[in-house]
Amino acid sequence: MTSEWAAQRLEEIQTLMERSTLYRRALAPTSTLTGCLGMAAGWLGWSLQIEYGPQFCLFWMLTSLVCLTLSSLMIRKQALVDREPFWSPPTRRVATAMAPALVCGAALGFLATMRGDLPESFYWGIPPLWMLFYGCALFSAGFFMPRGIKLFGAAFVLTGLVSLATAFQQAHEGGIDPRSQGHIVMGSTFGFLHFAYGIYLFLTEKDSLQAR
Amino acid sequence: MKTETFSQLDKVIHEKGRMAIMSCISSHPDLSFRELKDLLQMTDGNLSMHIRTLQQAGYLAVSKTFLENRPHTSYRLTQQGKQAFKNYIELLAKIVSWNQA
Repeated sequence: MTSEWAAQRLEEIQTLMERSTLYRRALAPTSTLTGCLGMAAGWLGWSLQIEYGPQFCLFWMLTSLVCLTLSSLMIRKQALVDREPFWSPPTRRVATAMAPALVCGAALGFLATMRGDLPESFYWGIPPLWMLFYGCALFSAGFFMPRGIKLFGAAFVLTGLVSLATAFQQAHEGGIDPRSQGHIVMGSTFGFLHFAYGIYLFLTEKDSLQAR
Repeated sequence: MKTETFSQLDKVIHEKGRMAIMSCISSHPDLSFRELKDLLQMTDGNLSMHIRTLQQAGYLAVSKTFLENRPHTSYRLTQQGKQAFKNYIELLAKIVSWNQA
């Protein structure tokens, strides 16, 4: 038994304490809300026939900004109800873990929006790459949150890889319907996956939340 | 001196599963059985066994209620449990400090 071992054990205790503090941070309602907004945005983008291009990137970046803002407000509200600080050390750790992948995804979207002269096929790869970045961000956050988040992140990575392979295949075969596919992909992944996860959390945590 | 300190580590809390339970409940009292199971990814049997040991040591208090006609069990640390966990962490910190000294 060494001091390194003792330090490791103290670190384990700290991680477990932080994970349980974050456990009830409005995960179910935020995930369900994000899912609903994602599916609604998918339908709206498809209805408005926003084609692959800078407008597509701008539309989905604005959607994610709305989701992020509303989720933060819900988490803040729960932190106030629980009399816990919103920007606590565990929350900072989660944000730090997610930041690199999210910044990469945002930078990709920003550059694609700014450069309007890129070939249309370039934009086909944007939704799968966003999924991959987002999946990596969630997977990293999973080290400080309930383990289900890691699986949720892995689901995004898997879906992103399949979508990327499909986009490559379609580019090779000569094209896709630019008016529909991007929004269907985004709505059914960002939208439906969040919605399904939120409902799962809501059903499994319902009893516990009522007990509070 | 060092051997003495190591022997002072609480054997009940020292086991990895029980240390995890104590850590979670100390930072978030009134966690339910289902929440603990989800957080720690333990089986029902394993979690029950560790909880029983902690209860027998007097470290955990159990609260059994009914929600919508379904049993609901939650746990919190007793005063004795809080003190034991605090002592355990302090001893670990002491062991770590030997290396830094």
